[in-house]
Amino acid sequence: MIEVSHLSKSYRDLKAVDDVSFQVQSGEILGFLGPNGAGKTTTMRILTGVLPPTSGTVKVSGFDVFEQPLEVKKRIGYLPENPPVYTDMTVRSYLRFVASIKGVARKAREGEVDRVAQKTNCTQFIQRVIGNLSKGQRQRVGLAQALLGDPEVLILDEPTVGLDPAQIIEVRQLIKSLAGKHTIVLSTHILPEVTAICQKALIISQGKVVAYDTLDNLQRAHAGAATADGQTGPVPSLEEIFLKLTSA
Amino acid sequence: MKNAFAIAKKELNIYFATPIAYVMFTLFVVIGSYFFLRLLGAYEQASLMYMRFNSPEMMNRLNFQDAIFRALFGNLGVILIFVVPFLTMRLVAEEKKQKTIELLYSTPVTPGQIVWGKYLAALVILVCTLALTLLYPALVQLVTKDPNGVEWRSIFLGYTGLFLLGAAYMALGLFISSLTESQVVAALITFVVLLMTWIIGWTAAETEGATREVVTYLSSVSHLDSFSKGTVDLKDLVYFLSICALGLFATHRAVEAHRWS
Repeated sequence: MIEVSHLSKSYRDLKAVDDVSFQVQSGEILGFLGPNGAGKTTTMRILTGVLPPTSGTVKVSGFDVFEQPLEVKKRIGYLPENPPVYTDMTVRSYLRFVASIKGVARKAREGEVDRVAQKTNCTQFIQRVIGNLSKGQRQRVGLAQALLGDPEVLILDEPTVGLDPAQIIEVRQLIKSLAGKHTIVLSTHILPEVTAICQKALIISQGKVVAYDTLDNLQRAHAGAATADGQTGPVPSLEEIFLKLTSA
Repeated sequence: MKNAFAIAKKELNIYFATPIAYVMFTLFVVIGSYFFLRLLGAYEQASLMYMRFNSPEMMNRLNFQDAIFRALFGNLGVILIFVVPFLTMRLVAEEKKQKTIELLYSTPVTPGQIVWGKYLAALVILVCTLALTLLYPALVQLVTKDPNGVEWRSIFLGYTGLFLLGAAYMALGLFISSLTESQVVAALITFVVLLMTWIIGWTAAETEGATREVVTYLSSVSHLDSFSKGTVDLKDLVYFLSICALGLFATHRAVEAHRWS
């Protein structure tokens, strides 16, 4: 569904993303991990066609992001780091606007807005002006916006930031429920989140891929040395693997 | 085109949800009314004087278009220089600052649609601003005893000129707004640029020959005068439309270039 090959992006002398390749199968959830400044957001911006890559290609549903950006953008829902909300609009008029530029037909628009608002629990403040909402509420509006038009691919940049614990669990459940029907790339620094939601993890550090595998394989590969009586060593948590890989 | 309309609708939604448009409407009407009242007073004095001298010939020559509206349109054109920067400053700069431009870049919207949508919204605001001043000819028509009354055809042409002037200013303002993240910077630079297009005309008086021709042609407000007189000059039409085209083209490039920076 998503094919990234040899992707690089430089800002002048800084190599933000360096030769990154990975694939996400249809219906899969990929956890995208890395310390701050590792190039997660840059990669996601390139995947969604916001930024042009310096080199390498990205294909979404067979369309090249660079050659046919509109076809790709029709199939993608994107939640950037900061929810891209207009603070002077009400939640409803904002969602209506996003639905219309995503090409949701006029007649279906109102129903679609209600559907995503319900899914992300935005219904109780849908008439309010976004500028007056809390960080967590804005985050949910941002998520609602990404779900509009029911895109095949969802790119979520730290979707649970700013939410309270109950909401985090809700959003995780929501994302899990979207799997299968949607292909999801999710970035986060909260490691239990990856364990809870994703099947596969991609860890990058300083723009380079340091690990890319299913969670089970990662844990097996980094398990402690076998003990004398033939038992396998203690199974490391994702946290330990992450720290080991990114500290280098 | 549908996307451009959606963006225009969103812009208008924000314009009318925030105080900026209302403040600018009020400002425009307050200053416009001041000029209108002064011109009306001058007209009154002139007609009293001609009556006292019992000069029917002069009285015949006195008409609303030349005595009031031609000068008023010139004044309104100058006030636009002060109003337009504050109307265009947020158009692109705010999207960049709030990072909402990422939403537009990640949805199936082309840079061209973004520019058209924003410009369309700016033009609607311009029409609203100008429409408020229709009050002046309407008032004159209401109280006049002159059988000919207000020449509505000339008034209409005057407004066409004002609209074209405003549209050119808006295109420049839109472009400057697309160059920066700061609304204040956008407003200031737009103001200076628009002011320059006006005051450059003042130097025309001190020059002659080809320089004078060029300077006069560059001055924005001078192109309004043929419209205020109730005529259309192709030269002025070309001037306004080419500034609009240039502004929109440059904005399109700037919006596209922003992603590559």
